[in-house]
Amino acid sequence: MTTLNVNVHYVTRVEGHGNIIVDVKNGEVKECRFEVVEAPRFFEAFVRGRPYHDINHIVSRICGICSVGHSTTSVRATEKALGVELSEQAWLLRKLLFHGEILDSHVLHTYYLVAPDFLGVHSVIPLVETHREVVERALRMKKLAGDLCAMIAGRHTHPCALVVGGFTYTPKERELREMRERLVAARADMDATVDLFASLPWPQFERETEYVSLRKEDEYAFIDGVVVTSDGFQYPIEDYKKVTNEYLVPISTAKWTKHNRESYMVGALARFNNNYEQLHPKAKEAAAKFGMKPIVHNPFLNTAAQVVEMVHSLEDSIRIIDELLARGVREEKPAPVTVRAGEGVGACEVPRGILFHHYVYDERGICVEANCIIPTNQNLANLNADIRALVPQILDRPQEEVRLLLEMLVRAYDPCISCSTHFLTVEFV
Amino acid sequence: MHYQRCLILGLGNPLRGDDGVGPRVVAELLRRGLPDGVAAVDGGTGGLDLLHLLEGWERAVIVDAAELGRKPGEFLRFTPEEAHLVGSLASLSSHNAGLADALALARALGKTLPDIVIYGVQPERMDWEEGLSPALEAVLPQIVTAILEEIV
Repeated sequence: MTTLNVNVHYVTRVEGHGNIIVDVKNGEVKECRFEVVEAPRFFEAFVRGRPYHDINHIVSRICGICSVGHSTTSVRATEKALGVELSEQAWLLRKLLFHGEILDSHVLHTYYLVAPDFLGVHSVIPLVETHREVVERALRMKKLAGDLCAMIAGRHTHPCALVVGGFTYTPKERELREMRERLVAARADMDATVDLFASLPWPQFERETEYVSLRKEDEYAFIDGVVVTSDGFQYPIEDYKKVTNEYLVPISTAKWTKHNRESYMVGALARFNNNYEQLHPKAKEAAAKFGMKPIVHNPFLNTAAQVVEMVHSLEDSIRIIDELLARGVREEKPAPVTVRAGEGVGACEVPRGILFHHYVYDERGICVEANCIIPTNQNLANLNADIRALVPQILDRPQEEVRLLLEMLVRAYDPCISCSTHFLTVEFV
Repeated sequence: MHYQRCLILGLGNPLRGDDGVGPRVVAELLRRGLPDGVAAVDGGTGGLDLLHLLEGWERAVIVDAAELGRKPGEFLRFTPEEAHLVGSLASLSSHNAGLADALALARALGKTLPDIVIYGVQPERMDWEEGLSPALEAVLPQIVTAILEEIV
């Protein structure tokens, strides 16, 4: 009989941690779950009582990795609430900036967090010894993505030029041309990235679930659109609560979500499954190298879907810059805002999945009500269901292998579990 | 030694109480004005991107909340070599990388880094709230003065 006890307690410096607990006695799974004890649950407290123009700057601090994602979702919610229309140029810059964040975050996740598992080391640092060129490539791509964000919005972690109505700064045509050259040159690194990740031995595991994402008629959706699910449902963004159906569970202080099944998945794999047709042809070629065609039911391949999206974002960034240059770049101020009472919901496909911000403003433009649902919380029920399905399939393997596979499964989702503080832990020698 | 180009980097999240001491010091320095060749940057929770931020400077003064085992508001000046900075890269999420990891990666790659000195400030509370605790608010001018003396 198998007796197995896996406890991956991952405790960060403050609250905000995820634990995997698996307790198996006599071949029976007794406990198996991924716990998270954090959500941006003070979100409303930060934004309530603040004027509309402060809010996106505040929420950009929620997460150092998804700062552009939170900011963009926030300004979209406000722009809808106050009836602000963006110029075509501002839309192009918003989309280009968003590609920068997708690239930045996906490079971080695929190379720094996932690749070490497959290359036999515990983190990216020993990887320098064994696969130096891989780390150098990751750094080059990360720098490029950060510079792309900085060109449009100021520093990636502080997209200060991104405001309600557009941008306070317009990049120069010279900057765009230089960036285009660098993006074109980065195709070689991108090809090498696809080859590297397509060659990795992805764990075999499948579980059918519902995939939820945004969708747009004319492009692979990252900003705005409608909410769709792989079970055939469709909702306007304003009806997001019909999808999320948040509920409380005893094992987590974060709320869980469900729609047509016991759980649903958001993120790169959900986008891939729902919006494959709108991917750039080169991204589809990359997917073919992974042997991926929708619908893919293996959650470990969320990382592979991220690699596919990196190809898409790189190619679409080049296309957008070409369009900007062909139109001619004009110095623009943000669209004017007429303050009024209103309510708006913003939705974006941030790197980890669909993100909702919902604000209510009074007639002075002061936020009186706010709600935020992050992708990680929407994935919690699904991740737990995956763990429960996976554990019985791997019970006969050595305990260390079970532990690694469960860790890899959690990492495939790249949960946002402690994005909020960053203080140093110091031990003097 | 006199440095031509110096970066002052404040790290932390202003939405997490005393964790925001780094960005707060940067804001204070920018308000007072800095000499030529010196820049003050709010690095937020920059993670491994700190590696790119640190490139190209001769000297970097980093201000960060730090678990020093001291009383709230006490601060220490030390170099990365004098302290063991505990990294957290090998975890379940990419959200955990910080200064320690960025420096370890730079060392592994043999990158040329600026001369780094760290001002670690003992926090009192890091709940979801804006603003520093009174203990850190009180010590803020001393930290700013110490850094200004550091860079002249």
